[in-house]
Amino acid sequence: MGCKILVVAEHEGGAVRDITWELLGLAHAVAPQGGWGAADIKAVLPGQGIGAVAAAIAGRGAAEVLLVEAPELQDYACDGYDRAIEAVVKAEQPEILLFGHTPNGWDVAPLVAAGLGVPLATECSQIAREDGRWLFSRKAFNGKFIQVLDLGKARPLVATVQKGAAGPFAGTTAGQVRAVTPALGVLKARFVETKKGEAGGVDLTQAPVIVAGGRGVGAADKFEIIKSLAAALGGQVGASRPVTDMGWLPHQHQVGSSGVTVNPKLYIACGISGAIQHIVGMKGSGYIVAINKDAEAPIFGVADVGVVGDLFEIVPALTKAVKEARGQ
Amino acid sequence: MKGLVLIKQVPNTDSPFRINSAGTWVDESNLTYVLNDYDRYALEALLRLKDAGAMTEVVALTAGPERASQALRTCLATGADRAIHIKDDALTAAAPLVVARAICAAIKGEAFDLIACGLQADDDNHMQIGGAVARLLDRPCASAAMSLELRDGGTARVERELENNRLQVVDLKLPAVITVQTGINEPRYASLKGIMAAKKKEIRTVTLADLGMGADAIGADGYRTVRLTPPPKGKGAEMLQGPADQVARELLKRIREKTGVI
Ligand SMILES: Cc1cc2nc3c(=O)[nH]c(=O)nc-3n(C[C@H](O)[C@H](O)[C@H](O)COP(=O)(O)OP(=O)(O)OC[C@H]3O[C@@H](n4cnc5c(N)ncnc54)[C@H](O)[C@@H]3O)c2cc1C
Repeated sequence: MGCKILVVAEHEGGAVRDITWELLGLAHAVAPQGGWGAADIKAVLPGQGIGAVAAAIAGRGAAEVLLVEAPELQDYACDGYDRAIEAVVKAEQPEILLFGHTPNGWDVAPLVAAGLGVPLATECSQIAREDGRWLFSRKAFNGKFIQVLDLGKARPLVATVQKGAAGPFAGTTAGQVRAVTPALGVLKARFVETKKGEAGGVDLTQAPVIVAGGRGVGAADKFEIIKSLAAALGGQVGASRPVTDMGWLPHQHQVGSSGVTVNPKLYIACGISGAIQHIVGMKGSGYIVAINKDAEAPIFGVADVGVVGDLFEIVPALTKAVKEARGQ
Repeated sequence: MKGLVLIKQVPNTDSPFRINSAGTWVDESNLTYVLNDYDRYALEALLRLKDAGAMTEVVALTAGPERASQALRTCLATGADRAIHIKDDALTAAAPLVVARAICAAIKGEAFDLIACGLQADDDNHMQIGGAVARLLDRPCASAAMSLELRDGGTARVERELENNRLQVVDLKLPAVITVQTGINEPRYASLKGIMAAKKKEIRTVTLADLGMGADAIGADGYRTVRLTPPPKGKGAEMLQGPADQVARELLKRIREKTGVI
């Protein structure tokens, strides 16, 4: 019994969610640094009627899957899931506990860590050993910096891991599935349903060109210059989250993890800093132009070409040049 | 019903950020501070319940250095009834769990039916305080709330934001905790009248020592930031310079060559 790295598996609709394979990939990648092997990596899986999910994980990365099944765990709710995970952690005593930095992972991880009385590093992009200590690299200031954290002496070391931080585990394992039935206590959160958010309006996913504006545009009426450039290029207008939150543009224009994922031939980001949640939605674009007055803005890290300058000078100049080129 | 909003004062995201000489955090000398954007939405969510007559009092709490009282003043001017300031310079470097413990200690004896905070703070991006406070108080919690509705039977119905434009609807038995995502509402701004009224409102100040948390409460377990570094440069963009007209011509040339959209 016991393990060194415990991965909190996620599933949905009877399938293993991709983040689980990535967490297992990360666990296998870092285990040797702790002097551990594949036998030291386990997964905890709360849910109901998910024997097949458990078997799949045992066959691909986990030496053992601790399966916690109960009717109350049918769908995710923080209360219930947290107690199930906490109980398994107490029994298994891992050195490291990994959650995905997903809506459910970031929801439950702080509850579990606080329940165990240990610190937590969120949204980690890397876990590595340095001078005999485990260090957790995570973004701070919305991606402007990487913070390297030492979580200290307490165990387990708990982290939520950013999507894409590691490749999915691709090997096979002959793991076991073991059912455990911890007490869940009195549950005070109840899952009701999952539903689609509001839809309609523009569909950015089909646009060949997207000219996107961020908070740097400054106001709803100032979006005219963004719209003019989009029109000149025969494209659509995109936005970062603050723009749609503040009602400068409808929600359907929002690009990013909680908006749409786009991959146009050309994406022009104007006054957008380049937070990870925005980047995941547009990094697949064919050619990325970034215009930002801050030379250190993370958006330049994903752009093909960048201009450090005032968007109110650059954007109209580009619109003029495009119109001339097209004889408009 | 009483509501508590947990807020933080953070550097303006537009600030000129530089790493400090120790290499462990940002240099705070050139920063201007504002109320964390997410927290404005959390405060508004509670103020709306008060406007609707469902809540009798809205209290704002922050844990932070002296300067953070300014953010509490903003909350009071916007409509919060009173404020609590856990004042300690050491809090900046504390683990979120320690901050959560301090918050729980500071509100001991008060019965808040709903505690709201922002989904994350724009500086450290930890996304933990709401969940940690909920667990320490043994209350249910829902993160990334995009709607909030009080229902009969002492529950709050919350729509949590998931990815790909989906929402998860969850019922929380009160007392409960929510963390609020931006866009849930349109936060109001302080009125001149509100700013005047705020001057008479109470800010109760407590120190960590008052809460029975000694100097060893922070960092004794070895929790610390080892270093702060710029992010990896990625593939690195080709940077264009010069007057706007010239830069525009250069951009046009590349767009033509690389994308074929013109
Ligand atoms: C769970 C979660 C989900 C999220 N989902 C999304 C999402 O789907 N999409 C999304 O975009 N964000 C999302 N966010 C928010 C994200 O973290 C950032 O806060 C947001 O992307 C920042 O938007 P921005 O770049 O427009 O604003 P800021 O970060 O404020 O950047 C504004 C930029 O404009 C520049 N600027 C200002 N004036 C000028 C000028 N005159 N000329 C040129 N440049 C100028 C500044 O230098 C700055 O870089 C999410 C966050 C969370 C926690």
